Amino acid sequence: MHSEAAIREPLILGHKTYHDITNDIVGPIENKAPKGWYILMGIASLIAAYGTGCILYLISKGIGAWGLNKTVDWAWDITNFVWWVGIGHAGTLISAVLLLFRQKWRMAINRSAEAMTIFAVIMAATFPGIHMGRIWMSYWVLPLPNQFGSLWVNFNSPLLWDVFAISTYFSVSLVFWYIGLIPDFATIRDKVAKPGMKKVYGILSFGWTGNAKAWTRFEEVSLVLAGIATPLVFSVHSVVSFDFATSVIPGWHTTIFPPYFVSGAVFSGFAMVQTLLLILRKVMHLEAYITRKHVEYMNIVIIVTGSIVGVAYITELFISWYSGVEYESYAFINRATGPYWWAYWSMMTCNVISPQLFWFKKLRTNLAFTFFMSIIVNIGMWFERFVIIVTSLHRDYLPSSWSMFHPTWVDVGVFLGTIGIFFTLYLLFARYFPVLALNEVKSILKVSGESYKKEAAHHHHH
Amino acid sequence: MSSTKRYWMDLGDLHQHPEAIKGRENEFPQDLAIDQVLGDQNFQGASTGRRDFLKFLGFSLGAATLAACETPVIKSIPYVNKPEDITPGVANWYASTFYDGEDFASVLVKTREGRPIHVKGNTRFGINHNPKVGKGSINARINSSVLSLYDNERLKNPMHQGADATWADADKAISDKLAAAATAGKRIVVLTNTVISPSTKAAVAALKAKYATVEHVQYDTVSYSGLTNANAKSFGSRVMPSYDLTKADVIVSVDADFLSSWGSTTEHAWQYANRRDPNGAMNKHFQFEARMSLSGANADVRVPMKQSELPLAVISLHDHIAKKAGAASVGGSKAEIDAATAKAAEALWAAKGRCVVMAGSNNEGVQVLVNSINNMLGNYGSTIDLAGHTYFKQGDDAAVAQLVKDMNAGAIGALLIAGVNPAYSLPNAAEFKAGLGKVGLTVSFSGYADETASLCQWTCPDNHYLESWNDFLPKVGHYTLAQPAIRNLFNTRQWQESLLKWSGSTQSYHDFIRSTWEANMASRGVMGLFADQWNQAVHDGVYQAYAATPAPVTFAGDVNAAAAAAKQAAAGAGEWELVLYTTEAIGDGQHANNPWLQEMPDPLTKLTWDNYVCMAPADVERLKLNMYLGEKAPASLVTVKAGEREITLPVVPAPGQKAGTIAIAVGYGRGENGEKVGKAACITDHNGEFKPVGRNAYPLAAMVAGSMSFEVLNVTVTPTGATYPVAITQTHLTHMDRHSVVKETALGVYKAGDKSAYNHAHELAVHEDVNGDGKINAQDKKSVLEFDLWEEHPVEGVGHRWGLSIDLNSCNGCGACVTACNSENNIPVVGKDEVRRSREMHWLRLDRYFSSDTTKESAKADGLGKIDMYLKMEVPSESPKVVFMPVMCQHCNHAPCETVCPVAATTHSNEGLNQMAYNRCIGTRYCANNCPYKVRRFNWFNYVTEQFGEVNPAWDDLGRMVLNPDVTVRARGVIEKCSMCVQSIQAGKLAAKKAGTPVKDGDIQTACSAACGNGAIIFGDLNDKNSQVRGLATSDRSYHMLEEVGVQPNVNYLVKVRNVEEEAAHHA
Repeated sequence: MHSEAAIREPLILGHKTYHDITNDIVGPIENKAPKGWYILMGIASLIAAYGTGCILYLISKGIGAWGLNKTVDWAWDITNFVWWVGIGHAGTLISAVLLLFRQKWRMAINRSAEAMTIFAVIMAATFPGIHMGRIWMSYWVLPLPNQFGSLWVNFNSPLLWDVFAISTYFSVSLVFWYIGLIPDFATIRDKVAKPGMKKVYGILSFGWTGNAKAWTRFEEVSLVLAGIATPLVFSVHSVVSFDFATSVIPGWHTTIFPPYFVSGAVFSGFAMVQTLLLILRKVMHLEAYITRKHVEYMNIVIIVTGSIVGVAYITELFISWYSGVEYESYAFINRATGPYWWAYWSMMTCNVISPQLFWFKKLRTNLAFTFFMSIIVNIGMWFERFVIIVTSLHRDYLPSSWSMFHPTWVDVGVFLGTIGIFFTLYLLFARYFPVLALNEVKSILKVSGESYKKEAAHHHHH
Repeated sequence: MSSTKRYWMDLGDLHQHPEAIKGRENEFPQDLAIDQVLGDQNFQGASTGRRDFLKFLGFSLGAATLAACETPVIKSIPYVNKPEDITPGVANWYASTFYDGEDFASVLVKTREGRPIHVKGNTRFGINHNPKVGKGSINARINSSVLSLYDNERLKNPMHQGADATWADADKAISDKLAAAATAGKRIVVLTNTVISPSTKAAVAALKAKYATVEHVQYDTVSYSGLTNANAKSFGSRVMPSYDLTKADVIVSVDADFLSSWGSTTEHAWQYANRRDPNGAMNKHFQFEARMSLSGANADVRVPMKQSELPLAVISLHDHIAKKAGAASVGGSKAEIDAATAKAAEALWAAKGRCVVMAGSNNEGVQVLVNSINNMLGNYGSTIDLAGHTYFKQGDDAAVAQLVKDMNAGAIGALLIAGVNPAYSLPNAAEFKAGLGKVGLTVSFSGYADETASLCQWTCPDNHYLESWNDFLPKVGHYTLAQPAIRNLFNTRQWQESLLKWSGSTQSYHDFIRSTWEANMASRGVMGLFADQWNQAVHDGVYQAYAATPAPVTFAGDVNAAAAAAKQAAAGAGEWELVLYTTEAIGDGQHANNPWLQEMPDPLTKLTWDNYVCMAPADVERLKLNMYLGEKAPASLVTVKAGEREITLPVVPAPGQKAGTIAIAVGYGRGENGEKVGKAACITDHNGEFKPVGRNAYPLAAMVAGSMSFEVLNVTVTPTGATYPVAITQTHLTHMDRHSVVKETALGVYKAGDKSAYNHAHELAVHEDVNGDGKINAQDKKSVLEFDLWEEHPVEGVGHRWGLSIDLNSCNGCGACVTACNSENNIPVVGKDEVRRSREMHWLRLDRYFSSDTTKESAKADGLGKIDMYLKMEVPSESPKVVFMPVMCQHCNHAPCETVCPVAATTHSNEGLNQMAYNRCIGTRYCANNCPYKVRRFNWFNYVTEQFGEVNPAWDDLGRMVLNPDVTVRARGVIEKCSMCVQSIQAGKLAAKKAGTPVKDGDIQTACSAACGNGAIIFGDLNDKNSQVRGLATSDRSYHMLEEVGVQPNVNYLVKVRNVEEEAAHHA
């Protein structure tokens, strides 16, 4: 067994046994859900229903139900798409990259972060679908054999790359997540008493026996999938950024977009993980597993990525001046001082200035402050995408075509709706799925558990 | 032979041919193992299991469902006997004439399968025909007129007191009443617009022959009484002279919008354009005016002046010229106005006999002074032709005013009204309406139950002009014909035919015209067979009978009296001066029901679907009204009060408008009392109320000094505090000093011949020794065209490469190309609310840019920071210069839209066209975002639905008949854009192929290039080394918009050259 330096802070607080862990995680699934869950579920599903209604209205009426126009042909739709894809980055990053780097602190958070990823990617994928003028023809973006002659997709189009990138990312994330769930489902199967539940979890656990061979294979598959997933973390948002970077529109046509988008994605993804975990930890009493230390680690990731994003913003400004291209120069001056200045400065404040407060240890270990900041960061990141998309388009080359974008109630409804659907899915996950990778957490109990560490220190002392 | 009767199937069977027997056996081949299969024991024992049953059930259900999905087949019945001249799929063109009292043009009407679907200028004949480019000049109203043929609100039967009647009843009742009126000695008045048709005049005369009390009163909605009266006083002939601007080196216009509304505009437009060529002898144009008119926007020197200063400007010009000519001056102008007109006077004097002065004023005194100026300059007989005068604008305001009085006095026995709508357009419409009730018989010939017709006892609906025969005499000796392009759609009758009927004639109007012509020709001793000459005239649409004989002109006007009258016209100015005007789209209001025109953006304000108060931005700021208008930025409402009359309208900041003056367009507010005046005259507004578009401003006009004045020098303007949404297609005013968008220069700079001074190449510095000086430095540059990410399309020298060349000098911004494109390409009309949301669908738009006082250079000189510089560049100058720029898809050879479409719905043709496959488009709109020119349009909704039925002609069955069958009506959710009229290109190529010849340059025209008689849009094959477009594209003035983006368009622009002295501002 590994042993860990005593000065490393424990990752599992208090005295927990393996049995305690099982009880803590599986207990809520066995028992009746708390009242709070029903309230949250009620609110989330109402919003989800409203959003679904808005989507159906949009599809029946036409894209004109949104506030788009001849100049700004994308606005909230693609803003939301990129925002959700960005959020969907943290889960895989935590589980895959941190797995490869053997970061033990990932174990308490990877499950829920991955669930968040799956749901966020589903929400993200909704937008390219519904933003199409003719959604019923959306399957044409797939390179399918067809009866239209040798009609093929356009492999030059970044939107097509998106299709491949997102679908690959989604499938790998889903498999990775599910593989991790198998042993935990088996634990639930073995624990629950109700025959119905036993049967369901039995099916879900794919006949997991828990023997050494199975565990070896499990570890191997996890490692392989982590290997596959890691490049995807970087590729997906790079590809999404190509939608803009390969265009000719000032403010879009920018070579720094791939790294800039990836760090922005990790930034917003971690913020969303914080938002969700801080609630989860309180509601499901997981304080022993999701500790202040976990939160602090994630806050450090937020400072780092937030700073990268800040540097990217400043680089853009510098290049717009340095390039000497008048359109480029105007695009950025217009962002900061034009009619959408408030969006730009919201973005700057939320993404660049506020995360710097996490340099103070007192603040980055403060849970309430972290929660507040996680919301701020996600607002900021939404504005980042809005700024890139709308303020670049609304005043591009020809002043004759300059216009403004004004969202309609359908724009707002669809966006809120996806948040509703996302939370509905997440709440269902929290209720019926093991929210922590309990078997993985068990594997670090003896090394990183508080009481064991103390014991070890004590032994060492003698 | 066997006696048994035998039946046989074919000859093979009869002769028992072995092949035939074999073939017959194959019909039911016996050697297949069917029996074995069916006889198989296992097969017989097989039972249909539950699963199989469900499969079969599912299949049959699915099959039945799919079968039910088949598109319903509508059976069309082909011609039993093909009409001789109709080939389905092939258009027929008929020469005709458009005249509505306001505009005149010789036109060609395109019909498909018997339906007129498009109107363009006559390509060979007519006063509007530009011999230099071989096209006829028209305006938006003229080519949009085809749509009004299919207006479902046209009257379908004669009407009596609002109910349908029959022609027999109408004829009887009206004839009886006319006879009664004549017997009673009461006057029978035929009230019309200016009639320039000799046959119509003859028809009126025929009626007079029957009823002695008949008299003919002509009423011009937009009056020229002052001008024609002045000519009567000055030269003894009450006419509107003919102008030849091709001979004018200098044009000085005092408030005469000669390109858009003043005089023979379709003629002026091409004459003017031909003299704007900087390679030729470019004219110099001075404009003095309060409102920025289309002509003012084109002027080299535009001097904004208050309306009350304009008569003084004429006096001042007069005195400047008089001084030089040694004539007596009249005096009475002001020093600052003398200074403002000095340069114009210098230029005029320097171009004696090769210049022209025009004034828009309807004041007799002002016009007499203008006549005197032109006389002193020796312009009569050169630029102004009195002998070969026009027959336009014969209206007499005094006679109309007297008529209204007489009606109220009960002196009129019958009133027959044709071509005018006095109950709408007379300022004293209330009196007219009251008088109408006191007339024994009132008959309207209007095609609609409009403001006047709905008050008349009888309405005898006239045909649409495309259903009519008529002749016209626009100018001395120049005859034109109108011929029907379709049979009457409804139970209507030409009003001239009604007159003939009531005068007891049984002749049809067609025969009547023929006989009039025959008599006319005979009287002039024309040789040859009349039928041949008639057929040729119908074919050409034009018959040039003779040329006017020049006669010496003696000016007999009293300039001192005129000056006194002019000064009188300038007196009494208050805080605000109002001028009424007609817009390029709606004109005097006859066509307010035309959705294409309502949705055509005003050339200068870019506003659609409304009239409004044009106000100087400085005044807007002073009154704290809304300056920036847009989707969510409504305009402020003000109430304009002229005496007792008032009107509440939104305020639109109009750069170039003289501070202290406002301008309001007439022609709006049709159908205020719920009259059915046509499809788009009323729409559902933002409050959900069905209301007229705009408000009627005619009541603000007034009779001044015996003629109708559109100027009110003392009005009050009171903000109401409320706001009103407006639909503007271009909310930004300036071009932000972006020289790769608009390039302009001064004539002197252009003539100096250094291309880099006005049309510099876009180059990038590279890290290699390009110039071979042994050093790598900033001087090593390569053209942007050499940098490319993509593979080259093989464009140069391979087959055709279609392109357009757009001359910013010839384009005057009239907008005829926009409506021509609407008509040719079935562009949906989307209505005010959608336009307000910047969703107009026009494939071709006219960008309008005002100049700003701040440029990049001036900002540098003033030490302005970048942020301040950009903010100031958004603000137009107080008296800005204007650029009109037609923008359509630029058909880039390296099109950014093509690379980004995920499904390859937009691709490049091997002839250089950027093509759109609507069927393949899934509507991601990525292409629209990535288009640097923003020319792609998205179908946000299904525009052919009831929601848009109020405005979109494609919605109702009748309106749909105007659609061009060669162009798909696009579905919801797809992108569309300019196709460079690919249907015309294909047709032209096909015609050339059938003729076995190469495509001849000029044979193929896009709708826009055909509509532009000014030669501003030239279409052709860039690979044809001898084509006109190739020549233009390789000329020194040619540039590609946004060349440095590297998209390599097939559309090029020619640098705008102004005939001004100052250095060109441009250099980047």
